Amino acid sequence: MSATHDPIAFELFKNAIFSIADEMALTVVRTTYSGVLKDNMDFSTGFADADGKLVAQGLTLPGHLGSVPTAMEAIMRHYRDDMAPGDVFIMNDPFDGGMHLPDIFVFKPLYHEGRRLAFACTVCHHTDVGGRVAGSNASDSTEIYAEGLRIAPLKLYEAGRINKTLMTFIEKNVRLPVRVFGDLRAQLAACHIAETQFAELVKKYGAEQTTAFMRETVDYAERLTRAALERLPDGEWSFEDWIDDDGVDYGVPIRLFVTIRKTGGHMVVDWTGTHPQVKGAINNTLSFTKAASYTGVRSVLPSGIPNNEGVFRAIEVICPPGTVGNGVLPAACAARGLTGFRMTDCMFGALAMMLPDRVKAAGDGGNTGITIGGYYADRSPFIYVDFTCGAWGARPWADGLDGNSHMMANMASHSIEVTEVEQPIQILAYEFVPDKAGAGKYRGGVPFRRDYRFLESEAMLQVRSDRRDHRPFGLYGGNPGLPSENYLNPDGENRTLPGKFTMTIKRGDVFRHVLAGAGGWGDPLERDPAAVLRDVRNELLSPAKALADYGVVIDTASWTVDASATTRRREAMRRARGWQEVPKVQWHDPQPLARAAE
Amino acid sequence: MVQYRVGVDIGGTFTDIVLLGDDGTIHTRKISSSVENYAHAIVDGLAALFRETGLAGDAIEELRHGTTVASNAILEHKGARVGLITTRGFRDVLEIRTLRMPRLYDLAWEKPPPLVERYLRQTVDERIDAFGHIDRPLDPAEAERAVDVLLAEKVEAIAVCLLHSFTNPVHELAIKEIVTRKAPDLPLSVSCEVLPEIKEYERTSTTVVNAYVMPVVARYLRALRKGLDAAGIPARLLLMQSNGGLTTDSAAAERPMNIIESGPAGGVIGAQALARATGLPGIITFDMGGTTAKASMVEDGAVTRAAEYSVGAGIMIGSRLLTGAGYTLKVPAIDLAEVGAGGGSLVWIDPAGSLQIGPESAGAVPGPVCYDKGGETPTITDANLLLGYINPAHLVGGAVPLNAGKARRVFAEKIAAPMGLPPEQAAYGAHLIAASNMIRAIKAVSTERGRDPREFALFAFGGNGPVFACGMAQALGIRRVVVPPSAGLFSSFGLLYADVEHHYARSFRRLLRKTDLGEVQRAWDALADQAAAQLAAEGFTGARMKVRRSAALHYHGQSFDLTVPVPDGILDATMVARLEEAFGQEHEKTYGHRAGPEEPVELVAIQVVGLGLRDNGGAPQRVRDSRPEPAASPARAAYFGSDHGWIETPVLRRSDLATARTGPLIVEEYDATCVVPPGARASLDSSGNIVIELGE
Repeated sequence: MSATHDPIAFELFKNAIFSIADEMALTVVRTTYSGVLKDNMDFSTGFADADGKLVAQGLTLPGHLGSVPTAMEAIMRHYRDDMAPGDVFIMNDPFDGGMHLPDIFVFKPLYHEGRRLAFACTVCHHTDVGGRVAGSNASDSTEIYAEGLRIAPLKLYEAGRINKTLMTFIEKNVRLPVRVFGDLRAQLAACHIAETQFAELVKKYGAEQTTAFMRETVDYAERLTRAALERLPDGEWSFEDWIDDDGVDYGVPIRLFVTIRKTGGHMVVDWTGTHPQVKGAINNTLSFTKAASYTGVRSVLPSGIPNNEGVFRAIEVICPPGTVGNGVLPAACAARGLTGFRMTDCMFGALAMMLPDRVKAAGDGGNTGITIGGYYADRSPFIYVDFTCGAWGARPWADGLDGNSHMMANMASHSIEVTEVEQPIQILAYEFVPDKAGAGKYRGGVPFRRDYRFLESEAMLQVRSDRRDHRPFGLYGGNPGLPSENYLNPDGENRTLPGKFTMTIKRGDVFRHVLAGAGGWGDPLERDPAAVLRDVRNELLSPAKALADYGVVIDTASWTVDASATTRRREAMRRARGWQEVPKVQWHDPQPLARAAE
Repeated sequence: MVQYRVGVDIGGTFTDIVLLGDDGTIHTRKISSSVENYAHAIVDGLAALFRETGLAGDAIEELRHGTTVASNAILEHKGARVGLITTRGFRDVLEIRTLRMPRLYDLAWEKPPPLVERYLRQTVDERIDAFGHIDRPLDPAEAERAVDVLLAEKVEAIAVCLLHSFTNPVHELAIKEIVTRKAPDLPLSVSCEVLPEIKEYERTSTTVVNAYVMPVVARYLRALRKGLDAAGIPARLLLMQSNGGLTTDSAAAERPMNIIESGPAGGVIGAQALARATGLPGIITFDMGGTTAKASMVEDGAVTRAAEYSVGAGIMIGSRLLTGAGYTLKVPAIDLAEVGAGGGSLVWIDPAGSLQIGPESAGAVPGPVCYDKGGETPTITDANLLLGYINPAHLVGGAVPLNAGKARRVFAEKIAAPMGLPPEQAAYGAHLIAASNMIRAIKAVSTERGRDPREFALFAFGGNGPVFACGMAQALGIRRVVVPPSAGLFSSFGLLYADVEHHYARSFRRLLRKTDLGEVQRAWDALADQAAAQLAAEGFTGARMKVRRSAALHYHGQSFDLTVPVPDGILDATMVARLEEAFGQEHEKTYGHRAGPEEPVELVAIQVVGLGLRDNGGAPQRVRDSRPEPAASPARAAYFGSDHGWIETPVLRRSDLATARTGPLIVEEYDATCVVPPGARASLDSSGNIVIELGE
């Protein structure tokens, strides 16, 4: 029997190759200097076959699924016939296979007896790649040239010799070269681990068999994906959502529009109709739009399907060039995370039309980015970057999660105590805010607020938030969540600030950010009164709002529900509401926003 | 009179009791865990052993106990109704956690419910800043009100955790004073005492978990003590801690957070002791039971510890990358990697036609198909039976009869036929895939920490560990496998070799080269005094008391740290240089590189371990099992893959290995089965371990 058809040997091979991809990821975690990689897992590792097709990806960041194939295509386009043992490639250019400039790819082709069999692939978010703002993450740059160092696909090593020119060039153009080089070493270490362990695999199975097994790993994922897609209904579903604005052209909403077409074991995710690319730095590359699309679809497929080319064969993603989902030169894209998060939410909306009982309503909108940067008296710099999100949309079977990362990023929060030791900042509050979650049979996730007091003489405060004008949608009768809020000195002048801005702050200033509440799912009048009571008891919902949104009458002296008063109240509300049918998507409360805010 | 030490390990289904006399005699017993009252199971089991052996209560010198009572209380949400007092603005630190979830793409993920509901989390207006200065003083009247609210809510324990209390505990201590005055008997857990370390979520969670299990553990230990007294066993009671050291029952009741992962620690400590006795510098322990397999590493004679772990996180491959499940405890624990693979793990075929093992398990009910108790899905135990590895007629010395015919029929029908493979090839495949899953646990404690498994021996125990050990060792390039006596009862056996151990730590962030060394020295001395006082109170003085220091360090700017031992002596410039060098070496060993000497090293935390040693220094002597060995079984056919095919394989007793033998062999014992593959050489060492040399 040829080993190619040996299902046991194949399973063992598959175990081994995914274990190597995970071990590459652990190597990055172990060897990195930076918190972005360690705590936020903002990196990915994987294996591609000799043609650059993704075979296995480590378990890290959903936002990177789809990034490696696009980058590998660029490498193959430039170097297919100009590659040798000992070469290592580096790149970050969003317009030649990359995503945004901080994400640097490092690839190493793996050889056996002079023949290329595979690639070890890594991509890591680096602390800084130069440009006009520390951290290279500004949302208000208007062209790529302001965002930092663009590295076309280049050889970092050629036949084992390091490219000193390139290294020096990088060193002189980033703010923290020690950290950038430390993290590049982590990427090289991961490639090295992959190379040694892959050599063991080839020794065990032989080159032919290894190649055949890698092909079979991809086919296996394709079979699983297609089998899972077969079980979903055929048809076409569309959904639209809006980003408030790009922070440059204030007040101009940005439309996201997706159409899902599913036939048998094949799905097309088509973003035609999405807004043209914008001046602000929230333009996606196609690869990130793909990641957002895959993240949505994967959430309704069974777990356990390997992340590789086989999945991509069954799910086709279309997004016309020149749109906010597929920017072209000179689009700025440093802060494109926002668009990616929101495209994932838009996918959930479309999937909810396809599978009403499987998908969640909109969450808080993906992470808010807050940067506080400046100089101490001795001219040494400080830079504080906080990305935060936390409220999940309600699900058809359960409330939205309170205080849980967006599915696209799965990052961890930084300790407040550590932040206060290291930064000229005191955090005054980090807690849930009541009455902001969208009501529903299952309510949206409860958002939190963070209050930051600045302790040095002067700094630039830059904020990228959204969901101010366009609230997180509720589904199938569920209310939308309440909008996000920004304030300066809430206990003093209490000035309302816009969603996206850059401003100077002084010693003692307090900035408050409140996330948007997440959308609800299902008719609020069907919510279990005991669940409403629990939220009131826990001060996540006021008795007044329990009455207004849910028609639940609560006695706060005995902590009980008045059942008959509740029944009467709910009947009256049903009559007044006069629904002919349950609204599939809700963007606004039945009553004006001002009233809801009372 | 021969004096006995007793090791008792309570598992989900069985309670294992081992008596070891100072003359080397051992008596063992496996009894069903009476779930209603674990304390009864222990006392009844001991009474039965006394009847069998004619021993009396005064022959017992010490009872050492590994228990899951605390972790079960957490897993089953049966702990105390806890009230939490925290800083205004930070009421939800416990519930928000770190935002991270352990599963990608999972819309159905539910966060573990917080151990304190929001309405029982009271805040007080106060603030200590990052450098210990009082920013906003605590209002005593308000603190009184917060305590009153919780008492009115009839909480069964109170936890207190304020921001930066590890730097300045004055506000926490003021609240402690109020609680003690108003409710002197209420269990109280205060963060500056429980865990004076930076990071508010980890400290809050640990303080709360401690409060949550305090009443449960205290109640259990009181019941056990009472039962022992009634049975005429005056021996003192020691509890195994998650860190592998023992503690007294009173200390365990005070800080039950230290005994949460008490269960699996015993086996690792026993392995460490036997490895030391036989001169093995490095071992990887591999413990496989009915539902899970666990691996850990003993390097240069020392167990590896993790500074932090999660209780009830479940078992999943890749969990070292994806955190966020369970309840976080920042308490040192033996670093164990666990995968959901055991004898009961189900064998199944996925929709794309691939053979899969677990993580679902047939459990005790219905159990594997061969148990004939209604199980209709093949398990790993069924595959091992088909391959001839385990006795086809019965297990546990005849206590569990097996139906081999049914196992063969169901396996052929559900696995072999759909895969188009002969039954033995399918069963062998299932065996290999289970092994490859468990290899991930071994890699997690070795290669993933920069250690090469080939430089270690594999130390296998648990009922199923010795069945798989040799095959896994071969796949990893490990050349030696060691199977200890009483392998199936080894978790309780190992308890007998542990020392009393108390860990103390404090956050202390300073650049080593720029700090006031006298201040660090004084802080260290204070911790050492605390350790010495605790040990002295437990009767460990003079040569039986040992206090060790260590330091958690990192390069300035790194967001993680490594711990290095600190030699005795005054902390001066020379000592600082030695510490920096030791840290650099550890960094290189773990991460493959180190920074140049100009890179400043920062102290993150100071740590002290107090050890209470046993009289004889703890060297294990060769043991003699009081249970007579069973009669030898006949040889049977066993399948060793397509290279070897079926081989008529001798079935031996452990004592038959007094002269070395070459595999294939099967060693059958009361509590475990050991498979020695063709060509490997097995013998007994001076401690009674089976040592298997696999060659190249």
